[in-house]
Amino acid sequence: MSGKVINVGFIGNPNCGKTTLFNAYTGANLKVANWPGVTVEKKEGYTTYKGQEFKLIDLPGIYSLTSYTMEEKVSRECIMSDEVDVIVDVVDASCLERNLYLTLQLIELGKPVVLALNMMDIVEERGMEIDLHRLPEMLGIPAIPVSARKRSGLEILMHAVAHHKEYAKPGPFIHHHSDKTGHKHDHHSEYAMVYNDEIEDKIDAIIEQFRKKYPDMENMRWHAIKTLEQDETVTEQFPVDMSGIADRSYEKDIINQKYDFIEEVIEETLVNKNEKAEKTEHVDRYMTSKWLGLPIFLVIMALVFFLTFTVGDWLKGYFETGLDLLTGAVSAGLEAAGTSPMLNSLLVDGIISGVGGILTFLPNIFILFLALAFLEDSGYMARVAFVMDDIMSHLGLSGRAFLPMLLGFGCSVPAVMASRALEHRKDRLKTILVTPFMSCSARLPIYVLFSSMFFGEHAMLACYSMYVLGIVVAILTAYIISKIDGSKAEHALLIELPEYKAPNARTIAVYVWEKVKDYLTKAGTVIFLASIIMWVLLNFGPTGYVTDIAESFGSIIGKAIVPFFHPLGLGYWQIVVALISGIAAKEVVVSSCSVLFGIQNITTSHGMDSFVATLGAMGFGAANAYSLMVFCLLYVPCTATIATIHREVGSKKLTCGIVLFQLAVAWVVSFIAYHIVGLIL
Amino acid sequence: MKLKEGKNNHTYVVEKIQIELNLERRLEALGLTEGSQITVLNNDKKGAMTVKFRGTRFALGRRIADNIFVKEAAA
Repeated sequence: MSGKVINVGFIGNPNCGKTTLFNAYTGANLKVANWPGVTVEKKEGYTTYKGQEFKLIDLPGIYSLTSYTMEEKVSRECIMSDEVDVIVDVVDASCLERNLYLTLQLIELGKPVVLALNMMDIVEERGMEIDLHRLPEMLGIPAIPVSARKRSGLEILMHAVAHHKEYAKPGPFIHHHSDKTGHKHDHHSEYAMVYNDEIEDKIDAIIEQFRKKYPDMENMRWHAIKTLEQDETVTEQFPVDMSGIADRSYEKDIINQKYDFIEEVIEETLVNKNEKAEKTEHVDRYMTSKWLGLPIFLVIMALVFFLTFTVGDWLKGYFETGLDLLTGAVSAGLEAAGTSPMLNSLLVDGIISGVGGILTFLPNIFILFLALAFLEDSGYMARVAFVMDDIMSHLGLSGRAFLPMLLGFGCSVPAVMASRALEHRKDRLKTILVTPFMSCSARLPIYVLFSSMFFGEHAMLACYSMYVLGIVVAILTAYIISKIDGSKAEHALLIELPEYKAPNARTIAVYVWEKVKDYLTKAGTVIFLASIIMWVLLNFGPTGYVTDIAESFGSIIGKAIVPFFHPLGLGYWQIVVALISGIAAKEVVVSSCSVLFGIQNITTSHGMDSFVATLGAMGFGAANAYSLMVFCLLYVPCTATIATIHREVGSKKLTCGIVLFQLAVAWVVSFIAYHIVGLIL
Repeated sequence: MKLKEGKNNHTYVVEKIQIELNLERRLEALGLTEGSQITVLNNDKKGAMTVKFRGTRFALGRRIADNIFVKEAAA
């Protein structure tokens, strides 16, 4: 077998294990991009089986193929285009009933479909069995049991894909419907899903019109069904005269009859359907309980941050030792080679201390993302939406809006993108506005550095307080806005609570690796560049190369803006320049400080000692440090986040408004924090 | 009666869904149609509740739960 690449579209309900299966084929070698025009993630990867190459496309998780949401539209367009030759419909075999609805819609599309029955292990655990002989008979498509976790059935699935492509005609169907009506066309031998006579007659009448008006149309039956459902896209593209055929939408009838057929399928193929009291419902009695739900959530989050700081800091020690050794070796090497002091300075003070300083935070970030991946993969995240719904609705938001905020602890970019799951634009805007206040992992290096320098044994408390403050500011902002715009609590939460499962090592590894890779890439690109730009700004002035930093361009810029920061206890031009550079990426604040104050390896203990001494001589104490941390927590998000916000809200004016608002909030809260901490200490 | 008035671990039959079209259609696509069965799992809180229909668990906000009308399923 050889020849052309076969394009395979992976589609399925959310939480059916589609991405796990996709990753089992492609590993982490993915190309992730966005669908043209919209910010829905598009993943592509390749796999080969017996010399045949397959291009796999991971489509967004959806429940149906209507065109109400962006995800559904994207999936539908992609499947219908030439981009997809064969559809692999991944279903969660343990909830076959709900998953088959999308399957029936896919079959109607008329392209080759292969059913991948995932999570068969759960089906077995529950003492159920699926009749793998009867199921393909009724649906007319191959059904392959797979386990993404155990990596079984993977080759058979690709084998079926390669073969089924050649036999695109579905069937044979063996049905024994109870209401055999003897429709004149006997569609039961042609299609899996046959509607009642009333609807079939209408479908025939519409097809009749299509034949005259659009003779080249592919799959007229599907277009006719969509016309009966009054689907906007289809009726606009192929308008027909519906008088005498239908005077209303038959969507409800069509849905009901599909579910009736699904019931028939389940009845015949699911053996031993006695559901035991499932583990999930048992666990949920505690996780979603009225009294315990919230405390359990808070304990879990406290544990996540505790691990991030303690275990992360412990590992960080080793990274720092390594960095120290590297700087020493490079300095010695350069001196021995007799290179110019300017180049030495660029390499050691600019690049190594800038980029290296950021790399030492890798362990903290690794553990934070590991914990978030664990929560997501285990199925707990959806419970958080339920637990937080009551509190969130006081803020005029749905419990679902809490998920983007929670993801914000990792990185603001995916968090802002996750707000797309919210239905109303107003909710989305509000969530996008407050999500950057949730302290992302890039801000962690700033807290760790300044709190360990100025707060000694209370350093961890100071770090924690940033996270709490971020949440409080986000909640207060949402509350005040909902009071102003008078939006009432929507109470329209609708979210699936998936089965709890032991998190899969491979899925977690892929998730964490992607984030770590992002972080490393950032260190190698944005931070690398920012370090060089900072070095240039600080070593060159109007007079050319300067040895006194106070005569540099950086100093001139910083000094011009200092008055604005004076009331916050941040009226030092070096700090101001560091903050401006932090807009590139928040970690840059740390690397800039190291360049600005000329301190090598700022994150190591002797680096910190000399930094504290330098700052202390300038009159910069604990209150100033706290104010700086607060300002970093709340001010303008990084360029990547601003770009994402712009894409999501689709307006330059709104984006500017959001950014300015965040800057204003940062100023006010830092001002208050500076004075309060100053009074206490 | 409203779904929100349902008791834990009781199963009901959906009589009517009175909510804006978009939400109604989402619910229908999930399989919550008139005449289908729905089981209340956890209705202890004032706000959201958890339910199970067509083999899947869902959390429903209060406004949705208030606008789905059900009757007790024949035992």
